[in-house]
Amino acid sequence: MKVAYYKGCLASLSAKELDSSTKALAPKLGIELEELESVTCCGAGDIHEAEPDYYLHLNARILAYAEATGADTLMTICNVCTLNLRQANFQLQNDDALRERVSDNLETVGAPRYWGGVEVKHLLWLIADGEGYEKLKEVAHKGLKGLKVAPFYGCQILRPSKLLGFEDPDRPWSLEAIIEACGGEAIDYPAKIKCCGFPIIQAREELALGELIQPIEQSLEAGADVMVTPCPLCHLSLDAWQQKLEAQTGKSYQMPILHLSQLIGVAAGLDDSELKFRRHVVSVDPVLEKLEAP
Amino acid sequence: MDVALKIWRYDPDSGERALKNYEVEAPEWSCLLDVLDLIKDQVDGSLAYRKSCRMMICGSCGMRMDGRAVLACKERMKPIVESGHVPVISAMGNMPVLKDLVVDMSPFWTKIKNMKPWLETGYEEIPDKEFIHSQEEMNPIHKEALCIMCGCCVSECNSMESDPEFFGPAALAKGFRFVGDPRDRMKVERLEDYNDEHGIWDCTRCYFCNERCPKGVDPRDAIAKLGAESIAEGIDRDMGAKHANWFVHSARTTGWLRETELVPKTQGVVSAIQQTKFALSLAKRGKVPPPFPPHVAENVQEARALYDVVKTRGVKGAAGIVQGERALSRIEHTNHE
Repeated sequence: MKVAYYKGCLASLSAKELDSSTKALAPKLGIELEELESVTCCGAGDIHEAEPDYYLHLNARILAYAEATGADTLMTICNVCTLNLRQANFQLQNDDALRERVSDNLETVGAPRYWGGVEVKHLLWLIADGEGYEKLKEVAHKGLKGLKVAPFYGCQILRPSKLLGFEDPDRPWSLEAIIEACGGEAIDYPAKIKCCGFPIIQAREELALGELIQPIEQSLEAGADVMVTPCPLCHLSLDAWQQKLEAQTGKSYQMPILHLSQLIGVAAGLDDSELKFRRHVVSVDPVLEKLEAP
Repeated sequence: MDVALKIWRYDPDSGERALKNYEVEAPEWSCLLDVLDLIKDQVDGSLAYRKSCRMMICGSCGMRMDGRAVLACKERMKPIVESGHVPVISAMGNMPVLKDLVVDMSPFWTKIKNMKPWLETGYEEIPDKEFIHSQEEMNPIHKEALCIMCGCCVSECNSMESDPEFFGPAALAKGFRFVGDPRDRMKVERLEDYNDEHGIWDCTRCYFCNERCPKGVDPRDAIAKLGAESIAEGIDRDMGAKHANWFVHSARTTGWLRETELVPKTQGVVSAIQQTKFALSLAKRGKVPPPFPPHVAENVQEARALYDVVKTRGVKGAAGIVQGERALSRIEHTNHE
């Protein structure tokens, strides 16, 4: 299937490893990516809060460029992009007068109109179910040798469920299904659906760290070798801010954090140049050593 | 039908906490509250829980079912019984447990009262003529006015778990109910109060409040509306507001988030310098993209021009969020069908 690929800010900058692993993996899963070039940030909840009408127009513009590719799906690789784009899309699809006003403004600045013909889906949803899932089982030929993987969903791929709606926000199953299809063992722990604290990690670091500690400590206690997340913001929080938790608690966690595309990528035998583990703050070596052990 | 429940009991006198099993015969139309009434009536009269109206109006019977905050009078038991699942019932979170399923809501009420939840009309003597307000003028606070103060949103608020002083979703939704009221004359003073260090910018956007609210108030959206109104009024001294404003500035200059400058623009230069060691550890891994040359989106002039168009002909402040609510409520109705 052909999809319009929106990589968002982080995968363009600090999480380039997410972009490179997604691009390497997608064709193997039968997903043809048409990368959107003339697009901007989705606003990440911040523009939605600071300038809501500008947020709506920026997202309408992204949707319009996705529609112009002829694809009916806009694929995201970030929870926050997923919620922001889906929220704007629902408003534009269900309110003709609003879509007309916004489209008129898009045309004024030289962008295409938006006709409401695109659905926004996260990569996770494309491979957790149906044809994508069948392909996944073939692609993950190297397996994960029973690696204990703690799924971390993050918030904005589950809630609010009326806008996301792929799975039960209290009992999600998609990451577990993928981990198991790749030959890993999914670890269960209560904080897997809670917040990593990232949206306020700059403005309220102490509060955010109080949230971040829960998934790290719980997954470690549950025996996880590694955590996996579908969101680059959760990834940055879990991976880069983990050292601050260590300084605060005096404990050593050293919990490696993988992007979803990297976890599947390892099972699919992607190259190091595509996985780019050297870009992680917490070393992924223990995971790779475990997988290489006889 | 036979209904089985597991209930977390708590006895404040002995301090004992225990998960107890119960089974009663209940009519097929029973909700969770009916089943609790039957248990209290037939099995154990000492079971403590709050209730009053039995019809989702009073907000008394908030509690957790399998870890989710619910109104006991809203949860039908038949599908659960048919699935064979035995739900675990416990007290709401983020509030101290007094006994069994009863929590101490005094911190909740203190936060609501701190919002000054009454109209400040700006006149002392009642004028001779009444003021007429149109439906359109009142629509912006329609959702927030639906709140029954049950505490389900607060129960699972992730920020409040970390900062118990956070005003929280219920109080802030109540705050917007007055900030957005065209009859109120204290909007700016209210926004100043709500921009407290434990106020609107404490929200981590986990969306548990929207997910749990049994009345469709969507407290997170109300918090975003307060943020939008604050920034529109120039109340942007909080680091949260500066963080949000930097995203707007990024979009209208380069199109993409100017990630590396986000720290000094949010926290100030001094704080950013104190973070140098941390920043270097990230820079070694390519996590601090150099700001020069800037990463500029293709056709960024369109995003810049859109900002000007929205500023001249767009809707301002919270109205930008309110405008989408009709469309969103349509999804809720579709989902219920």
